[in-house]
Amino acid sequence: MDAQRLKDNFAQVAQQGDAVALFFYSDLFVRNPHLRDMFPIGMSGQRDKLLRALGRIVSQVDDLPRLVPFLQQLGRDHRKFGIVAEHYPHVGASLVRTLKYFSGPDWTPELEQDWGAAYGVLAQVMQEAADEDALSTPPWWEGRVLGVERRRFDLAVIRVEPDRQLSYLPGQSVAVELPSRLRQWRFYSMANAPRPDNTVDFHVRLVDGGGVSPVLVRALQPGDRLRMGAPIGTLVLDEASPRNVLLVAGSTGLAPLKAILEQLAQRAAPPPVRLYFGARTRDALYDLEDLRKRAAELPWLTVVATVSDEAPPPPGGSFAMDVRPGPNGALVQVPAPGSGPHDTDIEYGALPDVLARQGSWHGHDAYVCGPAGMVTSTVEQLVRLGVEHSRIRYETFVDSER
Amino acid sequence: MNSPNLPDPFGDTPGSPAHESLPADQGGPGAVPAWSVPEQPLPQQSAYPVVPAGEPGLPAQGAPPSPGTPGGFGLQRADRLTAGEVRSVAFARASLGRRGLDEDHVRAFLLRVENELVQLGNEKAALAEEVAQLRERLGSAGPDGRGGMAHEEAHFQAVRILSSAQQTADLYVADAERYTRELAHEARLHREAILSDARGRAELMLEEAQQRAADVAERAARSAAAAEQALHDQALREQSPHDRPGPSSGTAMEPVGQGAHLTQTSLSADERQSMEREIAYLRTYSDVYRTHLRSYLEALLRNVDEWENSERAALPDRP
Repeated sequence: MDAQRLKDNFAQVAQQGDAVALFFYSDLFVRNPHLRDMFPIGMSGQRDKLLRALGRIVSQVDDLPRLVPFLQQLGRDHRKFGIVAEHYPHVGASLVRTLKYFSGPDWTPELEQDWGAAYGVLAQVMQEAADEDALSTPPWWEGRVLGVERRRFDLAVIRVEPDRQLSYLPGQSVAVELPSRLRQWRFYSMANAPRPDNTVDFHVRLVDGGGVSPVLVRALQPGDRLRMGAPIGTLVLDEASPRNVLLVAGSTGLAPLKAILEQLAQRAAPPPVRLYFGARTRDALYDLEDLRKRAAELPWLTVVATVSDEAPPPPGGSFAMDVRPGPNGALVQVPAPGSGPHDTDIEYGALPDVLARQGSWHGHDAYVCGPAGMVTSTVEQLVRLGVEHSRIRYETFVDSER
Repeated sequence: MNSPNLPDPFGDTPGSPAHESLPADQGGPGAVPAWSVPEQPLPQQSAYPVVPAGEPGLPAQGAPPSPGTPGGFGLQRADRLTAGEVRSVAFARASLGRRGLDEDHVRAFLLRVENELVQLGNEKAALAEEVAQLRERLGSAGPDGRGGMAHEEAHFQAVRILSSAQQTADLYVADAERYTRELAHEARLHREAILSDARGRAELMLEEAQQRAADVAERAARSAAAAEQALHDQALREQSPHDRPGPSSGTAMEPVGQGAHLTQTSLSADERQSMEREIAYLRTYSDVYRTHLRSYLEALLRNVDEWENSERAALPDRP
């Protein structure tokens, strides 16, 4: 097999972009109409994924130590889609036909042979990983919704009970599929360390125009069913590290960090932990009450809430104030009842700026999760503030997570 | 080789092969023997078509091979061996002093027969191939049709149709997504506006109530101070006729040293009444504002509920 020849050929074909993936899937479905049902109606995202995966595979075709783990994960991931061994040859045949079609006169029998061989290896690695995985775990878990707690009109905390033991590391996530939104899988992190009763919590933010999150936030009810894939993810606690821990969460990026927090709480002697929970507005700090309660109980935990898009309330006089008779007979302003802790003790500004006010974070293990922009700027800031890059673990929302 | 029909090699030379092919095609065996109707006496040296294939010089004019003959495919072959030729071949006699036929002549002829057989085999294979291709083309519409040109073209056609259908679907999905995104965005803005409006109104109400209350309190304090002053003056006046305060004093008055107490407790009934009136007024005022605020907020909540209900109803997939 000539790796360079494959790379060159793929580079040439990939110039056609989306048309390549479009041809591939159409060819696959024309020849195997029964496979169409395994895919969503809208295929744009699917085509992007295919091209990205192919690009990655081809670029590493001569670097098996890196490629093989990727393929193995790919094989395991595909179990939840219901992919079985008999599907692989169809995909391989369509792939080669696609490459041939777009190569035009540059196609040679040698290329055809190389691609066939390469796909054979790929399919074998994926299948073997899937088969091995099948010995210990099901392809998916069925879950029953136990509770939906809507914290704001677009934020909900959902509790789900899987039908079988779901083993995972705190910080990991699962792909979720709803019966009313078939073939649309979205990743959500478990927001708790594994519990004896096996239930898991998900924090869901409604994404405008999203396919799945609006249903999860607005329409899900106790008793509803959903399907979950195998847990994945590398945003997990470094258990061997004795360092102090910094958790930085943007919006529902809190979920995996809360799971890690619970895991830390199970240690005999937890290290000092500071949790920064940021949102754009005060009312989006959907889980602050619970975090404050935990901080009050756990001496090693400090919780800092931050708000980026709102100004601090002006001193003296605001919606949050009430008027009461004072001790000297005159009326005075007091904090309104029920405004809770949300409106006091909040840091204002973007998360990286708030972190910088704290000074140096040298010697900390940092875990960061949230929207892409927030994660990028936070990680950069933390490096500037003395945290070694290797001591930062982070994850961003996937674009398709909506 | 020792055909009984061997003609006399001298003089009676057979006709050209081209001529010979005619009777063979038209009548096959039994047609007029070529040698009996020599039309074109040929020179001796070229009487026998034993030259290597392809060598020019043989008379080919007059009768091209018919399509039915192997040579009929493709270019016309003048050097092909024909059945009539074989039948009518006339070998020269060996040279004087030797018996039998001219050996070279026979060998050359055999070579030519061999070439012909090879060529026939090749042509047969090519034809078989062509037949197979034609069959495939015909059969591609059938259940087992595979690989033919027409089949491939049909497949590409199907792929193109499916691709454009998929693109249409993708477009619709993207449009629907964009539409809901825009709607949701607008709703979000609307919500922000409602909330900020509510906040503004509430602040205004509170401010007004506060201002009002502060005024009332101010007035109450002023009148209280005035009352105190009046009481104090009165007390002093009452005190002056009796030079000394003392236990003998039969009034309910407190000692002068406790004048503050005295003034407070001895707030006149009028002043007390006035203050109570103010307080009652203030309470009413506050109640009114609270009621306003409550009804306004409740209206807002109803608004939100309606919104949620309609949104829920719009989600079609509830089982």
